[in-house]
Amino acid sequence: MKILVMIPCYNEQENILDTVKNLKKHCPDVDYLVINDCSTDNSENILKENNIPYISFPCNLGIGGGVQAGYLYAKENGYDITVQMDGDGQHDPAFLQTVIEPILNGKADMSIGSRFIEKKGFQTSFARRIGIRFLSCLIFLLTGKRVYDVTSGYRACNRLLTEFYADSYAQDYPEPEAIIAAVLNGFTVSEVAVEMKERQGGVSSIRALSSIYYMVKVSISLLVYRLILADRGGMR
Amino acid sequence: MTLELQLWMLFGSIIYLGIIFWMLKCKKLSVQFSIIWLISGFCMVLFAAVPYIVYVLRDIFDIQMPSNLIFAMNIGFILLILLSLSAAVTKFANQIKRLTQTIAILEKRVRELEENQLTKK
Repeated sequence: MKILVMIPCYNEQENILDTVKNLKKHCPDVDYLVINDCSTDNSENILKENNIPYISFPCNLGIGGGVQAGYLYAKENGYDITVQMDGDGQHDPAFLQTVIEPILNGKADMSIGSRFIEKKGFQTSFARRIGIRFLSCLIFLLTGKRVYDVTSGYRACNRLLTEFYADSYAQDYPEPEAIIAAVLNGFTVSEVAVEMKERQGGVSSIRALSSIYYMVKVSISLLVYRLILADRGGMR
Repeated sequence: MTLELQLWMLFGSIIYLGIIFWMLKCKKLSVQFSIIWLISGFCMVLFAAVPYIVYVLRDIFDIQMPSNLIFAMNIGFILLILLSLSAAVTKFANQIKRLTQTIAILEKRVRELEENQLTKK
């Protein structure tokens, strides 16, 4: 079973090395790939000096394009399971086994690590929880599938879904859209309980001012996705 | 409409068409994107040359002033052109994204091949 953990990284010079070391300690037998999205800080040098496998873009693509490159890489190299894990230390590699479990026993095509199932660990701010709740309800209304932590970037996909994402993956703020794309195309999505930590350093990519844009953009794209696929049976 | 105004409009729209053809000739504009510009240019020349069409259209649509019809049509053309530009930008963005991803994956392969060669030597 070939497993690839991809770690998107944009200006994470404080965290990236710890994240990778932590991953190696907990899961020594998985392959990993850091996706350096044209960081402007020292990230790339750190990756190079420490012999960490990475790909690096000549221009900034944003998280969607970066993650899609990871799926493309996994597809080209024949990985069975592709795991996404943030580079800022929020996601604990100790839960990797939990996250890939539903994929290993074939119960789901995508498995999302959710902090809201057992409500342990870092629960993020009140405003963000409301936003996540809203998107979660919207996805439920549009697809009938209940996913609680729709913005979680800690997720695993099997080979079939990896190939699907390699061909089409949302840009900008892709996490909720990726879920709706998977569900509407007939893939099964499941959620498992994980604990998340507060980010260890650096700044999050979603700031206060852009959060309004985030909500509007994601809501519209979810609706549009529903409309596009309304009269098609889906891929699977 | 006075003859003077008609001549000026004809003059202006012919220059507009001329610029489009000149840009096409110098390859500053691809045919793909010029089609909508050309259609709008031909319409403008036609309307300036034969204002009777505009008067008939005005009566059909029950518009007060013939000039309003021209304005409305031109706004329509501009909207179409802008929309087609957005579509073009989207297409390019997707192509650039795929290129960037492929380059990054290839760069990793090249880097690893070079390292392997160095260690062999």
